[in-house]
Amino acid sequence: MSENNLHNEQKLLNLLEKKFILKGGSVRRERRVEVKVEPKEIVPVLLYAKENSGYTAFTHMSCVDWIEDGEFEVVYILWHPEEKINFFVKTRVSRDNGTLPNIDFIWRQANTYEREIREMFGIQFEGLVGREEFILEDWEHMPPMRRDFDTVKFVEKTYFERPGREDAKDVREYVQERTDEELPDFAKKYSRD
Amino acid sequence: MYNDKESQKIVDIIQNYARKHSLFILAYGTGCGAIEIPPTMTSRYDAERFGIRGAATPRQADVLLITGYLATKSLKRVIKVYEQMQDPKYVIGFGSCTINGGMYWDSYNTINVLDKYIPVDVNINGCMPRPEAVIAGFVKLQKQIQEGKADGWDKYKKNLDYYKENQKKIITNWVMPDFNW
Amino acid sequence: MEGIGYKILGAVLTTILAFVVGMFYGGFSRKIIARIQNRVGPPVWQNFLDVLKLLFKKTSVRYGVMHHLAPLWMITMSVTTLMFIPILKDGLFFTNLNFSGDLIFLLYIMVFGSLGMALGAGATGNPNTAIGVSRGLTQMVGFEIPWVMALVALMIQYKTTSVTGLMDIQSQSGTWMMFSSPFAFIAALLAMPGMFRYSPFDIVGAPQELASGPVSEFGGKYLSTMMTSGSIFAFVKLTLYVDLFMGGASNLIVLVLKTFALYLYPVLWGAVSARFRTEQSVRYFWGWPAFFGFIALLYAAF
Repeated sequence: MSENNLHNEQKLLNLLEKKFILKGGSVRRERRVEVKVEPKEIVPVLLYAKENSGYTAFTHMSCVDWIEDGEFEVVYILWHPEEKINFFVKTRVSRDNGTLPNIDFIWRQANTYEREIREMFGIQFEGLVGREEFILEDWEHMPPMRRDFDTVKFVEKTYFERPGREDAKDVREYVQERTDEELPDFAKKYSRD
Repeated sequence: MYNDKESQKIVDIIQNYARKHSLFILAYGTGCGAIEIPPTMTSRYDAERFGIRGAATPRQADVLLITGYLATKSLKRVIKVYEQMQDPKYVIGFGSCTINGGMYWDSYNTINVLDKYIPVDVNINGCMPRPEAVIAGFVKLQKQIQEGKADGWDKYKKNLDYYKENQKKIITNWVMPDFNW
Repeated sequence: MEGIGYKILGAVLTTILAFVVGMFYGGFSRKIIARIQNRVGPPVWQNFLDVLKLLFKKTSVRYGVMHHLAPLWMITMSVTTLMFIPILKDGLFFTNLNFSGDLIFLLYIMVFGSLGMALGAGATGNPNTAIGVSRGLTQMVGFEIPWVMALVALMIQYKTTSVTGLMDIQSQSGTWMMFSSPFAFIAALLAMPGMFRYSPFDIVGAPQELASGPVSEFGGKYLSTMMTSGSIFAFVKLTLYVDLFMGGASNLIVLVLKTFALYLYPVLWGAVSARFRTEQSVRYFWGWPAFFGFIALLYAAF
């Protein structure tokens, strides 16, 4: 792709580097800009992108569990409706009692996303208004989307064993046992390894 | 005068004939399989010629369709609805999620085997079953009613402790009325 | 003594006739609506199987004395109204208990059935039933206006209040009341779907609205009683229309043919129309039907 097309994306990065302290940022490809910040810089960066640069649409907010570093990474995705560019803002908080600022005075729909992340991962948001119980009812265990929550063991303890699938094998092994078919190499590897 | 066994059988035959030819389904779609109920009831795969129609409240319904997976939150409500229905009542489990957990077998929130919590009469497998399969399931239920073997409601009353123990294992906040019949 | 014996037998036979014919008409309406929607419907005896299945339910839930008595009140009122309508013009069994003032008596006794359902539904404490009952009574305010105006116009024009008197006038003059007082007929005909609670005025009992409104807490044997009384009442209303406007009937076959021809009108219109809200239906009834009733009153007075 020609370099001239990345002009609009580069414009935003230049403006942000002048005003805020960024921990890293790049234009990944056409229509995709990403920026890494500290937690206390989230609200100024988002407000600047919304009001001055035209990134007025809030698309998504999600959370990644980096258990090896001991941190959660929260990603905010914004969208520019005229120039059609995605903008990613990434922050990291610690896994034990991490807190983030609350952004639902900028976009009201962020309230739902923040409540889900609070219930599923355990990150607290300062000043978030909403019931503690969102999707799960009477849940007393660890927040279930963390990587150290062993889902299979929990299921075996709580619910009944499924008849016919006692060993929980992958269906590719069954296929290989019952027919003498030779699986190709790319299909033999499990995607979770 | 009359042989008791003989007249009881005639009454039973009339009873089962009336019950099997007019089934009222409760209009409650519990999971993603509920999208196969409107095609079954409308013009192309007409289910009304079997006498099946929709009823609005549990007090008037005969059949409870569990269409798909049940989270623990929905299971609490389904148990309340099941206990409000009047005898004789039948439960049909749709899809493979009610048989052995289906696609969501390793989820922390959905139950695997429905038969341990409320008694199920007929299981229809598929993900989702097509309307022809749904009507085949209803025909099988009709055959069971004719022979007098569709007695899930009786099993629930007789083995209430077993079902309640299973239910209380996963519903920890037990705020439910006592079942009295 | 012989008169009493014949009258009691006539009462029993009339009730059985109304039950059977009403149930079959319900089955026919389901079959006709199904054929309009390009599918095969249930068999015409389906309503009998529904009532039988509901009678064979093993448990019944009730909420108190008024809730238990409400379906019994409804069926009592239906059968009582049935007794005061002449089914056939003359004959041994079916003339029933007529006396001279009975059109005014019929006007207010036809409302009693809904009153029973309202009292029974109020005893449950379910908010759905309370809202459904208020909707039903509001709709009744709507359709009663053109209906009463049409009947009063008939009473003024022919100077009699007895149904048999009106039937005699029709057989003497040779023309049906349909043609000799046309505006009253049009007003009563436009008020008819409201009385039957068919589409587009079926907001009270439809399953999609508030979980069936007033009947939502009745199940099992109570529901079978209410369905029976509903079909008997439908037959009552159809026979009243035929007696007033179409010249009565002199034997049962003609009666069945005339009532079925009249019954097709709400069924066919209801199969293709959507549902009105309560205020829309009241506004409809106080528009053109009331206008025709008013013209009927003027026509009768001059």
